[in-house]
Amino acid sequence: MYEFAAPIKLIHPFLLYAACAVGAIGVWLALPRKKVNPQLLGGAIAGFAVGLVLLGLGIGAFQNQPEMDNPPTMLPSIYFYIFAAIALAASLRMITHPRPVYAALYFILTILSSCGLYLILSAEFMAFALVIIYAGAILITYLFVIMLATQAPSEEQPDALSDYDASAREPAIASGVGFVLLALLTTMLFEGVRVLDRRDEANPKGGQLAFQTTAEADVLARLPGKVEKSLRREGLITDEQSIQRNEETGRAMIFPDARTVLVEPSSEEGEPFDLLDWPESLEATNTEMVGFDLLANQPGSIEIAGVILLMAMLGATVLSRRQVEVDEELKAKQAAALPVVHTSAADGGGS
Amino acid sequence: MLTPIAELGVARALGALSVSAPEAASGYAPPVVDMAGPWWIGLIPFLPMLGLLLATACAIGGVKSKLPAWLTVGCLAASFAATVLAFFQLNGLPGGGAQVTVWWEWFGLAWGEGEGQRLSANFGFYMDNLTCLWMLFVTGLATMIALYASEYMSHDVGLGYCRFFAAFNLFVFSMSCLVMGDNLLLLFLGWEGVGLCSYLLIGYFYQKPAAVAAAKKAFIVNRIGDLGLVLGVLLTFVHFGTIEYAELFGSDKLVGYLAAIEAGNVDEVPLIAQMIPVLLMIGAFGKSAQLPLYVWLPDAMEGPTPVSALIHAATMVTAGVYLIARMFPVFLLSEWALPVVAWVGALTALLAATIGMAQFDIKRIMAYSTVSQLGYMFCGLAALTSVGGAFHVLTHAFFKATLFLACGAVMHGFAGQLDLRKLSGLSKVPGWRIVSIAMLVGCLNLAGFPFTAGYFSKDMILAESFITPGMAPIGWILLLTAGLTAYYTFRVFFRVFVGPVHYEPGDEHHGDDHGDDDHAHDGHGDGGFHPHAPGWAINLVLAVLAAASIAAAGLYFLGDKGGWVAGMIKDSTAYYPGFAAFTAEAVAHGGEEHAAHGTFLGMDPHKVMYYVSAVVGFVGIGIAAFLHGPKGLGGLLLGGRRRADVSRADGVAAKMGPIPAMAQGKWFVDEFYQFVVVGPLRFFALVFSLIDRLLVDGLVAMFGWLPRWIGGALRPSQSGVLHGYAVGMAGGVVVLLVILALMVFREPADPDADRRDAELIEFESSRVLDRGGPEWTTDADPVEAGAGADLAAQAAVEPPVMGSGS
Amino acid sequence: MESLAGTLTFAQSAMPDAFQPTTLAHYLFVSAAMFIIGLIGFLARRNLIIMFLCTELMFQAAGLALIAFSRYYLEHTGQTFVVFVLTVAAAEAALALALVVLLFRTRDSLDADLWDEMKG
Repeated sequence: MYEFAAPIKLIHPFLLYAACAVGAIGVWLALPRKKVNPQLLGGAIAGFAVGLVLLGLGIGAFQNQPEMDNPPTMLPSIYFYIFAAIALAASLRMITHPRPVYAALYFILTILSSCGLYLILSAEFMAFALVIIYAGAILITYLFVIMLATQAPSEEQPDALSDYDASAREPAIASGVGFVLLALLTTMLFEGVRVLDRRDEANPKGGQLAFQTTAEADVLARLPGKVEKSLRREGLITDEQSIQRNEETGRAMIFPDARTVLVEPSSEEGEPFDLLDWPESLEATNTEMVGFDLLANQPGSIEIAGVILLMAMLGATVLSRRQVEVDEELKAKQAAALPVVHTSAADGGGS
Repeated sequence: MLTPIAELGVARALGALSVSAPEAASGYAPPVVDMAGPWWIGLIPFLPMLGLLLATACAIGGVKSKLPAWLTVGCLAASFAATVLAFFQLNGLPGGGAQVTVWWEWFGLAWGEGEGQRLSANFGFYMDNLTCLWMLFVTGLATMIALYASEYMSHDVGLGYCRFFAAFNLFVFSMSCLVMGDNLLLLFLGWEGVGLCSYLLIGYFYQKPAAVAAAKKAFIVNRIGDLGLVLGVLLTFVHFGTIEYAELFGSDKLVGYLAAIEAGNVDEVPLIAQMIPVLLMIGAFGKSAQLPLYVWLPDAMEGPTPVSALIHAATMVTAGVYLIARMFPVFLLSEWALPVVAWVGALTALLAATIGMAQFDIKRIMAYSTVSQLGYMFCGLAALTSVGGAFHVLTHAFFKATLFLACGAVMHGFAGQLDLRKLSGLSKVPGWRIVSIAMLVGCLNLAGFPFTAGYFSKDMILAESFITPGMAPIGWILLLTAGLTAYYTFRVFFRVFVGPVHYEPGDEHHGDDHGDDDHAHDGHGDGGFHPHAPGWAINLVLAVLAAASIAAAGLYFLGDKGGWVAGMIKDSTAYYPGFAAFTAEAVAHGGEEHAAHGTFLGMDPHKVMYYVSAVVGFVGIGIAAFLHGPKGLGGLLLGGRRRADVSRADGVAAKMGPIPAMAQGKWFVDEFYQFVVVGPLRFFALVFSLIDRLLVDGLVAMFGWLPRWIGGALRPSQSGVLHGYAVGMAGGVVVLLVILALMVFREPADPDADRRDAELIEFESSRVLDRGGPEWTTDADPVEAGAGADLAAQAAVEPPVMGSGS
Repeated sequence: MESLAGTLTFAQSAMPDAFQPTTLAHYLFVSAAMFIIGLIGFLARRNLIIMFLCTELMFQAAGLALIAFSRYYLEHTGQTFVVFVLTVAAAEAALALALVVLLFRTRDSLDADLWDEMKG
């Protein structure tokens, strides 16, 4: 199915390590601290480091361009750069912003730009699923919890930060470890990428007819309605005609390997069957493909995922129902810290 | 001392005998076994089992009456009735016949087709005259003693009462299995069962430390003997290939060996076959309390008296005698076994008698007497008069049970008092007449007073001992013992039952059952104690047993020569026809004409022994009367005892130096064992426990301490702060990745590396390419196949949709 | 340079056939960088909620790598696995948030450093 050529080097290791070091310094600067807080500078340095790596990658891609007349594009589209920049910047801001609510909002931004990347990677279903589940459900839950679990603001400083939000813990160690890990990960990635040549086994007929992969053809063979609709749309069959079905098994006679389909004869006196090629416009959507893969190839995993979700639901219910013993002193302190709404409203009205 | 006996040997004696009287030595004939005995034979053991279940049910139901006793008596009486029925049914069989009744298959193991590759042991019952004789007195005595115990144990009504009768029933069941089992394995089951019941019943008063210790002692000492028994049984199986009596007694090997011995070729019997009786003998010595394993029996008197009477006097302790009698043909195989049995028996008899002379506890005296009499029985078997041995077992069972039960009645009535120095003249106390008479009957029997049952059975053994070649020293020892027996027996009688009336209560306080009687335990001379006269059950049982003891003498005159018991035994395997002929010869010719025949000072022992043993008995009784008898009694007795605790014997003892004290201290055998056996064992146990504790436990503890120590050293690294763990985990991943990177990117200076890489890639990709779908599309490509009908048929067979999956 | 509409059309057609290893490398770098940012956030921040948000970010990065590989190998299994990653993330979020609420109720603070009872 696949063939590998000799590995190619995409980026010079020195450049990579230098960029990682710079990035580490940038993130370290960007992390929240109490007195001097050069977050903007840190972000700029980190962005510079990322840009450095992407530049190096781009150069590497051009250097390894195959020698042919009309070489395929080796660089990703401009949208990749846009979405990647937004995603990385948002995630950096997420971990550096002192207030959890903003962090959650930046995380939503990260998710949305990730969805853009997903779309570029032609994973529409997952992109939309991500928006719905992450941005829609999970992050809302986070916001609720942030609201539930935030200390009551004191009267004198209503928007004062908590101590644990205002400062990071050992930012130098954290960014150091993180970027050493990044350097290692990316070294493994770029120091010898195997070039993958996909032989065109997807289409036995070769040439321009390679419009469906084998997997896609298999999926389509199980969707006779879709095939029929496509045939009608192309005008290959009339409205009365339909796909021939096996009298015993009731299966539609679609042949994925040859990309052909048997249909009922167009007239009474004609051939008993018409053998038609699939139209070129016939294609399985990403959702269909993912759904098929999910249900046909991973049924056990789906069951396990269901059980995991159920258990998580039960666990969350049990945990949140547990009564916590809070000592009375603490309660009284909390109550005293609460703003007295009606008096302040009266005061405000008076003044 | 053993040498002349060993040289002669029983086997050689048999050989000499068959030469001297070839026409009479009819040789060994295997018993005729009827394998389809009546089913109800099995009821004999299983009725006591039913009694056990009923007593257990009573215990569960919390019965607080004498119900378990009556249930037990009923079950045992039914069992006795079944035995009597079996006896009459067996009388209809030809002589030497045996019946086997199999209730179910117990063990049926086969691991091959060859000989000795099949172990078969059924829950079956071998019924011949020997079995029947034993079962008659076992079940009969058990019934009587259960009746006695119903009153004797009445102070313990409730859970303890049920426990007692449950164990009692279990004992009778086990004893029945022991005696009636048709194979050695069932015998062993019964053997261990009676041992267990003995343990349970000796330790009946488990709050009493002495009882617990005695129970443990009995159990442990018996284990030594049981080891011999087990090895003997295994060796029997290994050598003869069977442990079933019917097959064993009829096996070609056994018949062949006995024929060889009769022909004088003793050496043809292999050593392994000669080992069997020696091993079985050890088991017999343990269970029947012979030297050197007798020490448990006197201590076993800590149990309730009915138990002492039934288990430790009449039945269980005769199991060893039964074992030898049952396996008698096997015992004839070894030229060592029977002489050893004889010497052990004789020395035990003498030793126990000397100890018994110096004891003051009347129950202990009876216990040593039992040990002594068991020695007699072993001598009887060894002297080739299994008839005499069996007869003595029978008579002894009755008179010793009588004696024990009489002692028990005394103990019961005088609050546990058993010291003969503190009891005197009981026959004059109101209500004690029957007990006194029963005691007198028992004592006369034990002392061998003329025309009592004990007199005849003892005579048979004595006479036979003098007749059998090489056994004369045994005979002399036994004769001396007979005199001692008469002395210590009547010492008890004269001190306790006659003389001035005097008694002190023991330290046992009976329970509430005497609450409505008006004898408070205070006032009146010795603290105002009123003896508690035995009730009807005890009196009835004593009367019946005393009568039976007297009547047993009649058995000697019943039937053919040798009496009824002889008739029974001669029809069983315990009797060897060879020496029957020998005995007949000896009698016919007055004993003098055959050099091989022993004599008693030149006279025929059979005739003279009646007089000799009577004289010896009288001498013993006379000495007892002189030393311990009361003053007067019509001038018949010369004794002058006026007080309970002082007699002329004290003066005699004072002149004998340390001997009486040593005898009273049981010759310090217990102390000797303690020093020689128990002490070293305890020392080794200590050593091993130290090794266990220091070395083994130390190693184990070290493996426990090591992680603990390491953990203690590493503990500070666990700060408990979440970030610390997270950083550690990320750092771990970094380290792993560094290692991986070093492995992957360690660029080899090898020019072939690229080629090898390419080969590897080719191999990998070819593997990927091999994963193809089914091949059907190449055959029936619809484009080439063209038209429809064929294609439709093809599609019908193999749905095209399923073409390329996975 | 295609237009966004062109890109989307291109994505809708089953799978474009040109996806170079260099292109894949770009996506993988973004994924790795996102993962590391999440990791650093988890290590450095002390607010429990933000720490859990960072774990979600790491899930996200893993999902991006899966999708990129799925595209590269033209296998939909990669996308399928993102479904499972989502499942685990959702379960984790549910449990973690329940725990956070519980912990907050006990200590009245979201500071992770307050929870150090496990120290040896």
